[in-house]
Amino acid sequence: MDLFRNFYEGFIFVYGCTMLFMYALLAVLSLRGIIKFQRKNSYVDYNRMLQSPLAPGISIIAPAYNEGVTIISNVRSLLTLNYPRFEVIIVNDGSTDDTLAKLTREFQLVQVEFAYNERIKSQPVRRVFKSTNTAYDKLMVIDKVNGKSKADASNAGINAASYHYFLCTDVDCIIEKDTLLRMIKPFMDEEHNKIKEVGDPCPECGYIHVVEDSVRVIATGATLRIANSCEIDEGVITRVRPPEKWLPRFQEMEYLRAYVLGKMGWSVINCVPNVSGGLGLFDKEIAIKAGGYDSKSFAEDMDIVTRMCTYMIDNKLKYAIRYIPTTQCWTEGPPTMKVFSRQRTRWGRGLAEIITIHRKVIFNPRYRQLGMVVLPYNLFFEFLAPIIEFTGIIYYIYQIVTGNINWHNAIILLIFVYVYSVMITTLAILWDQKTYHYYKTWREVVGLALMAFLEPFVYHPLIVFFALRGYFNFMTGKKHTWGNMQRQGFGRKKPANT
Amino acid sequence: MEYSLYDFRDASLNIQIAIVFIVVAVTCTIIAYLSILTGRYKAYRREKKLARLHPVIDELLMEHILLNDELTSDIPADQVQLPIEVFQQPVFGKKWARQALINRLIHYRNNVRGSMGEQLRNLYIQLELDKDSLKKMKSRKWDLKVQALAELTSMNMSIADVTILPLTNSRNRELRAAARHAYIKLSKNEPFKFFDVVTEPLLMWDQVELFRIISTTEHIAIPNFAQWITYSTNKSIVSFCLKLVVHYNQISAVPAVIKLLDTKDHYLRADAINCLGKMKIEEVEEKLIHIFNSQPQNCRVEILKALGRINSGKYVDFLRQEFLHSTDFEIRKHAAKSLIRNQWAAKGMIDELIETATAENKLILKHSMNPLIKF
Amino acid sequence: MSNKILLVEDDEIMPKIMERILHKEEYKIEHVTNGKEAFQRLEDTDYGYDLVITDIMMPYANGFEILSKIKNRKDGKPIPVIIVSNAGNEEMILEGFKLGADDFLKKPVIPGELLIRVKRLLMQYSR
Repeated sequence: MDLFRNFYEGFIFVYGCTMLFMYALLAVLSLRGIIKFQRKNSYVDYNRMLQSPLAPGISIIAPAYNEGVTIISNVRSLLTLNYPRFEVIIVNDGSTDDTLAKLTREFQLVQVEFAYNERIKSQPVRRVFKSTNTAYDKLMVIDKVNGKSKADASNAGINAASYHYFLCTDVDCIIEKDTLLRMIKPFMDEEHNKIKEVGDPCPECGYIHVVEDSVRVIATGATLRIANSCEIDEGVITRVRPPEKWLPRFQEMEYLRAYVLGKMGWSVINCVPNVSGGLGLFDKEIAIKAGGYDSKSFAEDMDIVTRMCTYMIDNKLKYAIRYIPTTQCWTEGPPTMKVFSRQRTRWGRGLAEIITIHRKVIFNPRYRQLGMVVLPYNLFFEFLAPIIEFTGIIYYIYQIVTGNINWHNAIILLIFVYVYSVMITTLAILWDQKTYHYYKTWREVVGLALMAFLEPFVYHPLIVFFALRGYFNFMTGKKHTWGNMQRQGFGRKKPANT
Repeated sequence: MEYSLYDFRDASLNIQIAIVFIVVAVTCTIIAYLSILTGRYKAYRREKKLARLHPVIDELLMEHILLNDELTSDIPADQVQLPIEVFQQPVFGKKWARQALINRLIHYRNNVRGSMGEQLRNLYIQLELDKDSLKKMKSRKWDLKVQALAELTSMNMSIADVTILPLTNSRNRELRAAARHAYIKLSKNEPFKFFDVVTEPLLMWDQVELFRIISTTEHIAIPNFAQWITYSTNKSIVSFCLKLVVHYNQISAVPAVIKLLDTKDHYLRADAINCLGKMKIEEVEEKLIHIFNSQPQNCRVEILKALGRINSGKYVDFLRQEFLHSTDFEIRKHAAKSLIRNQWAAKGMIDELIETATAENKLILKHSMNPLIKF
Repeated sequence: MSNKILLVEDDEIMPKIMERILHKEEYKIEHVTNGKEAFQRLEDTDYGYDLVITDIMMPYANGFEILSKIKNRKDGKPIPVIIVSNAGNEEMILEGFKLGADDFLKKPVIPGELLIRVKRLLMQYSR
């Protein structure tokens, strides 16, 4: 028994310390990334792109399901983004309300005969619409049979997209005006189409075979924030505020930590695990070759990124996923416990799914950083963390009950973990402040930062509980009964819980 | 204190580590809070100062420089003596205010050019703001150098080749790019000289910037890009030159572009085909069709697009053939689009195709004929 | 007679310069900073402007929409529209003219040129 006890306690301590060390490492990496980004950004004039014939085209893909209330202003706000070459593809995923009718009326749509090339399987596309008004010639609306998932709708959008890059988003996300300009830059900052000659000339065609030899940026992500208490006027954010209600406010804090500190840090060493489904810019060719979104997945955004990476490595291509620390997208966070619990349970299930589907990649040295860093990290510190924490609590209780506990040490350890977690969150907020002062007053910032003191008692236990419920559902294979409602909930934008 | 220190030494290793980190974490948190607050306070002060200064600058510029009727005379703009005494205010002795003034001048120059633009440049020189920029050039920090280069470029100030040429091959990517831009824009004799020597790739982002500078700089001598298309070993330079050839419709470079069709690099070849198509070089059609079958998909698509752009009407049968028999959707679509562009030479053929084609092919044709669909 | 001009522009410098220049010529100039305000102003005055100068990329509605709304009115007097924008690749310029823009100027502009174009259009349309 003592042996077990020593082993278990030792293991927990080492595990905990490694995790905390990882956080510290991420914080340092992310700070470096942010400082570098800021320095470069201080003199980059994004508007230069606006006149350029060299700007790469971008297709914005936004699935909509029963969004009749807000669809018009949201589409308008997408159409007024600052970029010289883009199209907006709204995928009406079999809405049962007046979404399509409203769009048709407002933007003077007519049905067109569109040669749709189904490179990724999705539910059938019924009709394609374009506007007769040249002012809206960037807009295309696809009406498809409901596929019960955002992934399915996005796939139809990808099939219809005409440009090389696509921005995946949601109609209810509010996107900053300069988003496309900023997010396309990382793609343009790597050399394109570089080739290397290999071997002797081919006897048949006389050509020397060539292989791709450039680092290809396959995806770029940016920070997301919670829109709940922001002032929004017809799809334009007029004033940023941290959410007033507690639950969304905790989420805002968590998002900042996950994006500004987590993903930004990972991107410095090219180990980004996931580009959010709320906002991500992708290389279309690779996304299609990797098979598009998996419409059955519970974490389709992480799944597609993982598959795109595997595709690149399998084909011996060099790739990179980039992150920019500025906030480019505002999304509504679940305001009630009910929706929130569904979202997190889903994420938990999604994570479990990713780990199982891609288990062959984990610790496979052939998959370099993906196999040795990204997935193992997710396995140990994202997937296993709730389980280990849970066993830890049981163990604690057992020790207390049997009277074996050394209160003095236990309290010191608890304080240690507590102050450390507060520190990490505070640092994330500080890093975020370094990118831009989104909030107007210092009171708002401090108000948000103080949530870090409450998090371990209030918010964190909830997350652990929902994650475990997600794992449980995954193991028992319980059907998700919520269908479209769930899709309509906010269960899609998953920040990795750094 | 003594007691607790004793306690600490006595504790087990993990407790010791925990205690050390508690101290570290608490300190870091406090520092973080302080930095947030001081950072915000500083930004607040800065904004307030700027908010006060900008209207002053605007008013001075408007009244005394931009709308000053006395300045509109026959003397060349750069020789006019501006009433700079109005800018001799104590605030403009400060570094931040001078920087704000520079930024504001640049902002104005992004909006107006012509004689007003010249007057803004004059003011920059006569207030000796160029000295501020040059001082930054001497700084050790690369970002200050880049900033200085950007300022000097947008003010169209000449910089000595000796200062700038070494920077065009700097190890720092940003600095290198900024130096190249400045060189193209400001060099008096041979702005494109660095095309000869540059070994690192020209990234897309840099190409956008360079393209803008080249196409907006007045009095820039446009060389024959054929020299780099033929001789440069740097593929990104070649590809960039192809875009410039299109932009300037440089017919004299066409033979060099045609030679490029024999390159092994299929990306470059696609760029060359694209360039020939956009320039509507009719003579090249036959060669394009001749090589078509040995090409990878991206080049095939480019060839089909080129046939549509050249629009000679001579190869509608070839397009029809590809449209009917290719197994690749993209190829069929582009063949159809080019066929439609060559419609004037294939009127009967298109009607016939619509009547006889398979459902999918018919859809492709209808798609290509619809003016509402661009791609 | 003083002509009324509506200027739609979200940059702060351009309106300052233009207001002064056009003011000198005794044009009445009104300035709004985004598409929504522009529509509002046009509705409120029942399109009571003699000329509209607009940028393209602005919040709420872009210049093309404003342009198409003005040009597609069934009744009322026609209003000339000049686009002044820092955006403008070939596609956008063509789109502008397709929608009926009377002129397309890329920033930086020569203020004198803009003034002459304004004058000429006002003359043309008053006939």
